[in-house]
Amino acid sequence: MIGSIFQDAFKNLTANILRSSLTMLGVIIGVASVITMIAIVEGGQLWLVNSIERLGTNLLFVWKKRLTVEERRMFAGRNTQLRYEDALAIRERFPELVVAPILELDQKLKTGDRDYSGRLTATSPEFSTIRNFHPATGRFLTRSDLKEWKRTIVLGKTVAEVLFGSSPAVGEEVKIADQRFTVVGVMEPKGEVYGQDYDEMMFVPVTTGLRFFTGNDKIRSLILHVPERGHMPEVTEELHQFLVQRHDGVDDIRIRNQGEFLGAIDQTIWTFRIVLGGIAIVALLVGGIGIMNIMLVTVTERTREIGLRKAIGAKRRDILLQFLIESITISVVGGCVGVIVGIFAANGFGNMVAQSMPGGGDWGAVIQPSAILIAFLFAVGVGVTFGLFPAMKAARLDPAEALRYQ
Amino acid sequence: MLIDLRQVSKTYQAGQVAVHALKTIHLHIAKGEFVAIIGQSGSGKTTLLDILGCLSRPTGGEYWLDGENTGALTESQLTTIRNRKIGFVFQTFHLLPRKTALDNVQLPLMYAGVSRPAQISRAQELLTQVGLEDRITHYSNQLSGGQQQRVAIARALANRPALLLADEPTGNLDSQSGKDILDMFASLHREGQTIVMITHDPLIAQRAQRRITLADGRITADESTGSRDPVLL
Ligand SMILES: Nc1ncnc2c1ncn2[C@@H]1O[C@H](COP(=O)(O)OP(=O)(O)OP(=O)(O)O)[C@@H](O)[C@H]1O
Ligand SMILES: [Mg+2]
Repeated sequence: MIGSIFQDAFKNLTANILRSSLTMLGVIIGVASVITMIAIVEGGQLWLVNSIERLGTNLLFVWKKRLTVEERRMFAGRNTQLRYEDALAIRERFPELVVAPILELDQKLKTGDRDYSGRLTATSPEFSTIRNFHPATGRFLTRSDLKEWKRTIVLGKTVAEVLFGSSPAVGEEVKIADQRFTVVGVMEPKGEVYGQDYDEMMFVPVTTGLRFFTGNDKIRSLILHVPERGHMPEVTEELHQFLVQRHDGVDDIRIRNQGEFLGAIDQTIWTFRIVLGGIAIVALLVGGIGIMNIMLVTVTERTREIGLRKAIGAKRRDILLQFLIESITISVVGGCVGVIVGIFAANGFGNMVAQSMPGGGDWGAVIQPSAILIAFLFAVGVGVTFGLFPAMKAARLDPAEALRYQ
Repeated sequence: MLIDLRQVSKTYQAGQVAVHALKTIHLHIAKGEFVAIIGQSGSGKTTLLDILGCLSRPTGGEYWLDGENTGALTESQLTTIRNRKIGFVFQTFHLLPRKTALDNVQLPLMYAGVSRPAQISRAQELLTQVGLEDRITHYSNQLSGGQQQRVAIARALANRPALLLADEPTGNLDSQSGKDILDMFASLHREGQTIVMITHDPLIAQRAQRRITLADGRITADESTGSRDPVLL
């Protein structure tokens, strides 16, 4: 009996293929958009995390906190600066850490006929290792560069192109504030990561920077690599105490780890996820309302059919079952098609981003089985829920009235 | 006694106005009778047929069908009665569109819980009985009016009902197809089938044994036709 009703319902669906496909379209769009959106968000997150981790892992960043006027008055005379010496002291006290001091200098580089204004990074050889950022030609800064305050400079790819075009830059001279610097290396292309264009960077020895440009030993920040990821919390704590002690007991230091940055990114991603998820749910609901709409129209259209069926022996249960089977079939089939369409759409979109975004070459949609499952179950749920109301309406029709319905 | 209507009345509520479609109807119909109900439009014929077919309940009085008080039955029990004991033939056929003749005849068998192979063989047998053995897999919209009505009769007979109800069965047919349908009724009647048929055509009513006239919701005449001569048509 139930088997017959199943078969009958399937016949109804295939006999009205246009109506069935239109109804399915709502589900297909809903499911496909949920899958696509989740895949895009996941893909974006993976890409961001990857591109950040490509610039080194297990990193700690050390800054000097800005002190209030009051604090400055209170701590007057005490050693409240981040200094190059701090970096050297850390290196001695924590030999397992890799430390690079960072001083940033806005300067203009000049060659015979060209110039380039930008931000110099005065640092140490460790920077290249920590950031996993290496020269393509020539070399990076060396220990002897630092020891002898050499006026050597390593250029980012873009800077080298602006100053020297396609001719080799290594060995050439540039002038910075009337000092001659020798280009010793050009960095590999790295592109932009989280707002920083690595191809526009240029590096000079930190000692040279202090001696020729600032004339003191204050640096802006430190960047450290912790070999053991698990040690990061203790290292952070010890480092903090060590620096406070060096700064005459003044807590003017802030240390953040990469995880916190990634956490911030996670938050951004979550915002995206919620917004896109909202859109996807709306798409699914619209799909569901589409089903309900067509099922309701169907009930009206089929009033005489329902009247006839009831006249010749269909019970409420049978009519309910028939309509439910129809809407479940539509949402399950629509859900399956939607999954396929969603996978194609997500991959298509991934390729599009990979091709159009600078540095997006390894961007790809990430389709998780759980996303597919959620979208599919939700679609079926919506289909059944929205199919139920018209089905109950149909089952309640009075046969005599329904038969007279014009 | 197959049909026993006791002071049956039916009042429709159309907005504020109450329409008294049937007023205290007394009616007995025995097994094997062929009854025609005639009356002008709006006299309550279809309303009476709906009650006889358990499609709607009377608002007053009692309807006993085959010794059972239908007023005491649940909706679901009435549905079962319609399925097993009553066959309907309508003026507008009421076949399901986009379904084959076979599908249509199978429906009452399906709702009766008959197994699928049995549904098919019974439906084929019925379609053969009404002379449509070569139209079994035709869709209902591929059939002529007369053929559609014959499919409807096959469907009505599917569960061997005690009572065959027909509401203007020839109303939408040309005279030859109409005559074929009436001949079919006559032969069913000869085999013992109880038939109640609505018509507003006195000549068609002549084909029945007994003619009941309705006017304004009341039975105004209940007589034997005395004539069964098909030549009159
Ligand atoms: N659902 C309804 N609501 C209100 N009034 C109704 C309803 N159905 C029928 N009526 C009224 O009941 C009366 C009897 O209607 P019925 O359909 O039984 O007449 P009939 O004899 O079958 O007419 P016809 O020959 O035109 O088919 C009519 O006045 C009709 O308007
Ligand atoms: Mg009528």
